[in-house]
Amino acid sequence: MAQNSQILPSKEASLFRHLVQNYETKQYKKGLKAAEQILRKHPNHGDTQAMKALILSNQGKADEAFELCKLALKNAMKSHVCWHVYGLLYRQQKNYEEAIKAYRFALRLDPDSQQIQRDLALLQVQMRDYTGYVQSRRQMLQMKPGTRQNWTALAIGLHLSGDLAGAEDVLHRYEESMKHTPSRSDMEHAEALLYKNTIIAESGDVKRALDHLDSIHKTALDRTAVMELRAEYLLRLDRKEEAEKTYNKLLKRNPERRAYYAGLERSLGLDRASKEDHQKLGQVYHEFAEQSERIDAARRIPLDFKEDDAFREHADKYLRRIFKKGIPSAFANVKQLYSDPAKKEIIRELVEGYLNEEPQANGGAELAKPDVQTNGSTKAQIKPPKLDPVLTWQLSVNYFLAQHYDYHLSRDLAKAQKYIDKTISINPSKTDYTYHMARARIIKHRGSTVDASAAMNEAREMDLKDRYINTKCAKYQLRNDQNSDAIETVGLFTRKEAVGGPLGDLLDMQCVWYITEDGESYFRQSKLSLALKRFKSVYDIFETWQEDQFDFHTFSLRKGMVRAYIDMVRWEDKLQEHPFFTRAALSAIRIYLLLHDRPELSKDGGQANGESAESAAERKKAAKKAKREAEKVEAEKKLAAAKKAQPAKGEEAETKKEDQDPQGLEAFKTAAAQPLEEAMKYLQPLLELSPKNIDGQIAGFEVYIRRSKSSRSSARTDKCTDGIVAGNYLPALKCLLAIQALQPEHPKWHEQSGRLRVALDGLSEPLPDQVKQVIDETYLSKLDTKKSMDESNEEYLTVHRDSAAHVQSVVRLRRALHPDSSDATVKSAQDLRDTIGSEATSLQDAEEGLRVLDELRAGADAKESYVKAAKERWTEATVFQQR
Amino acid sequence: MDIRVLHPSDIPHVQQTNITNLPENYFCKYYLYHALSWPQLSYVAVDVSRPKKTPYDAPKIVGYVLAKMEEDPADGVQHGHITSLSVMRTHRRLGLAEKLMRQSQRAMFETYGAVYVSLHVRVSNVAARSLYEDTLGFKNNGTEEKYYADGEDAFSMRKELDYLREEALDDESDEEGGTIGQDEGAEVGSAGKAGDGADGEKKKERKRKVKVGRGLGVGELVERNESAPQTNGTS
Ligand SMILES: CC(C)(COP(=O)(O)OP(=O)(O)OC[C@H]1O[C@@H](n2cnc3c(N)ncnc32)[C@H](O)[C@@H]1OP(=O)(O)O)[C@@H](O)C(=O)NCCC(=O)NCCS
Repeated sequence: MAQNSQILPSKEASLFRHLVQNYETKQYKKGLKAAEQILRKHPNHGDTQAMKALILSNQGKADEAFELCKLALKNAMKSHVCWHVYGLLYRQQKNYEEAIKAYRFALRLDPDSQQIQRDLALLQVQMRDYTGYVQSRRQMLQMKPGTRQNWTALAIGLHLSGDLAGAEDVLHRYEESMKHTPSRSDMEHAEALLYKNTIIAESGDVKRALDHLDSIHKTALDRTAVMELRAEYLLRLDRKEEAEKTYNKLLKRNPERRAYYAGLERSLGLDRASKEDHQKLGQVYHEFAEQSERIDAARRIPLDFKEDDAFREHADKYLRRIFKKGIPSAFANVKQLYSDPAKKEIIRELVEGYLNEEPQANGGAELAKPDVQTNGSTKAQIKPPKLDPVLTWQLSVNYFLAQHYDYHLSRDLAKAQKYIDKTISINPSKTDYTYHMARARIIKHRGSTVDASAAMNEAREMDLKDRYINTKCAKYQLRNDQNSDAIETVGLFTRKEAVGGPLGDLLDMQCVWYITEDGESYFRQSKLSLALKRFKSVYDIFETWQEDQFDFHTFSLRKGMVRAYIDMVRWEDKLQEHPFFTRAALSAIRIYLLLHDRPELSKDGGQANGESAESAAERKKAAKKAKREAEKVEAEKKLAAAKKAQPAKGEEAETKKEDQDPQGLEAFKTAAAQPLEEAMKYLQPLLELSPKNIDGQIAGFEVYIRRSKSSRSSARTDKCTDGIVAGNYLPALKCLLAIQALQPEHPKWHEQSGRLRVALDGLSEPLPDQVKQVIDETYLSKLDTKKSMDESNEEYLTVHRDSAAHVQSVVRLRRALHPDSSDATVKSAQDLRDTIGSEATSLQDAEEGLRVLDELRAGADAKESYVKAAKERWTEATVFQQR
Repeated sequence: MDIRVLHPSDIPHVQQTNITNLPENYFCKYYLYHALSWPQLSYVAVDVSRPKKTPYDAPKIVGYVLAKMEEDPADGVQHGHITSLSVMRTHRRLGLAEKLMRQSQRAMFETYGAVYVSLHVRVSNVAARSLYEDTLGFKNNGTEEKYYADGEDAFSMRKELDYLREEALDDESDEEGGTIGQDEGAEVGSAGKAGDGADGEKKKERKRKVKVGRGLGVGELVERNESAPQTNGTS
């Protein structure tokens, strides 16, 4: 096949084989040497160049590798090796589409190559090209029908592409072909059988699934799964008695699994919603509770359905029991009940009643049993001495009440403060920081991020070895915008040798919460480039998580744990619906919108503009310190390396580079140049994967409405014709209608709907007919347009005066209606100020009001008067102190 | 609180719980490696009381146990290992850690025929030691000096899983005849006495051979994954 010049003499041919071997065993240096040796005599040998390129690329020299590989292809257009390598290089760049093309070329040149076929299949499943995947796997099965993996893989492809019958048939055919019964311990076999069972169930034929399950009962090693499936099938087939038996067995194994109790209730034909059943339900749970002192679920669940006196009685027992044991998580366990005001009230009455009780009188029904040691060896010396029961009781009750009055559904912060102070005053432990931590949270709710951060730091200092309180403290520091303190705090627990210091470690360890909080803090401080950098890091972490699945396409086939693999694939399919992603994405989008609306903010690379001399000095100090730290880490690293003096894994371990752009200034340039385009990267996954999240739709509207008007972006990119610009009205409308469908009373529906109409009324050129027609049919024709927009806006205000969020929307719409009217601005400032007097307004609402004032560019006076009113109401709130 | 097996979709929150509580951290792929190699062994405690804010709220994980089978047991005896265990401070002393551990142990025994389960614990970790030694019946098997990155020693502990064999037998007496956790011709008789690890050899003959890990050619991924926890040691 290869051209003549591409055929090596035997000496070099053998060298080439070494080269391939060297690559496979990751002996890259040796491999390169071999390649050089060949190329010295045969400088145009394509395959050698390609192999060399592959090694270079694995050493992180991507550009050089691509250059060389292109040269190789020029020399040997018809070499499957070159095309294969070309594909691998693209794959390393994560350009999967190009990689697939190259693999296909390679495969055409060498149709029998299992390697290439396999690499192609991997990309196909990664890209969810199931049709292609099934095709590839059929090929591979034909080439090697003796290997079970090949059958399983084809079944997976068919299953994922929705062909359940086909998948089952493939698995079945392999079973038929088996010569002897696999051993009892053959995990691959055991799992394949269970996999087949879940496919049968998915196809909806429950009866057959149950029969099949019974037939593999002995072979399947995942006992829990077998029992769970059996119970579920029986229930679906309405074979209630057997289902009940199975759920009882499951509960014996795991009495804390809520789904089992739910299954048991259904198989008993009991319904929590019907009052007649409560007696029986109570009995069922009572029996489970009797079985062991350590079961919580059976004691806790009845609180969900019992009511009135029955609830009071049960709650009394339940609370006494945990208070006596002194379990600090009591409140966490019952706060869910607070959504029912009657239950909330009963709990409060009960617990306040306990305050006045003589401790001895709290005997109740269940005496706390002394700890039962399940296994002889008592190491009494490591157990802390048991607390005095009177003290335990008092601590529990006071602590519970502190949390009760701190909780948003029953908040009275003065009382919360009183109870937590009491708790702390009787806490005998110098290291148990639980109550100090609660105190810090109460302070936070009073609005002082400064004091809350200090209080949490006090709690931290009580137990310096505990990472949980360290984490909490860092979070409070970030909420108080002490970014450098926070990183120092977490740095007490991060790996010392991590490249990039503590932050580098948190990035490596994908510590999403910290990165997000850090970004939000920078956002508050108007350090936009840093904020965006953090949100981008979160975005990248999700990319990594997506990429992580790649190796498992092969790995899981070898391991044979197919059900878990399918679980993973389905999770990865909607990875970015995770709230971690949504939160960072929404913040990033807000920044892009800001950059679009106020391009002047992008000067100084989005560093806090108008930075005071003081904070500039602080920044310099911080920078100096960071440099010192970096040097220290560097020195430590060198020391560690010297100490180890052993080669890292593989010959050339990946070395992580220092961040060249710690302030994120480079990326910020792109962001500032085309903010709306950048925003789309975050918006698209939101709209696609979490369409029912109203905040995503609201953000979507904001992006699209700007894109439809944006002459800015069309001028810059030149690609944007007017048609495309106008085309953005439809997606904006789509978001708007989604908001209406999700929450018709949401203030954003009112505001954004009005703003859309303003935009449509003010078009300089008419919309294309089709667009216009859609907008008329789905939207305009359904609106009540009798009143003017002004009128209905003011009417809306009258109805919703007490809700800060609604008033803010009214004010924003008013600005859209009268962009240049200073009268309107004055009135708006007054309306916003009035929200502070409303009982329902929260501190967060008031903060948002301040942002709206900024948007209106209301004068300094208006702002001052707003802040003054807010200060009077939230005397401790840090946000208003600083202004 | 709900105790159930860990799913891949739980990983972001498990990871968060881990890095909140412990200095030994791992990235997502290492959790995936556990969840896709031994999907029966890792468990989570979920706070079911949190009201959902959006339809996409992920279950809030307040505790987890991350567990595996030893790939190449040095002693040739099939056994499980606890990679990491922690419970959020706000949910401690509810019995969650104990329950998580017990579920994991049972699965090790039933699915993989594990003879014992091992783990490492900081010498100074009073809560965890009390949990392992007093509540769960682990035995201290010796000290590993400077096991942790900060120089602290670890106790190496283990617990025999024989007791589960008897539980399984109890179960079977009232059942249609499953033979879980028992190999063909197991000599059940001698399993009654609490094993102290001294008769490891005998156990070796008895144990059910289950292919795990490298035996199946995991090669590459495991190596890469094993560099995952970086140099800060496993729990
Ligand atoms: C160790 C840890 C996992 C225990 O979790 P937990 O859910 O609170 O433990 P449980 O409620 O199941 O406790 C079971 C038993 O362990 C013992 N125990 C738990 N915490 C203890 C403590 N702080 N002091 C003394 N004994 C304790 C008790 O015997 C307890 O039984 P009891 O409550 O009936 O007295 C938890 O403290 C933790 O996450 N710590 C930080 C992370 C960590 O150290 N992990 C272990 C690494 S090896």
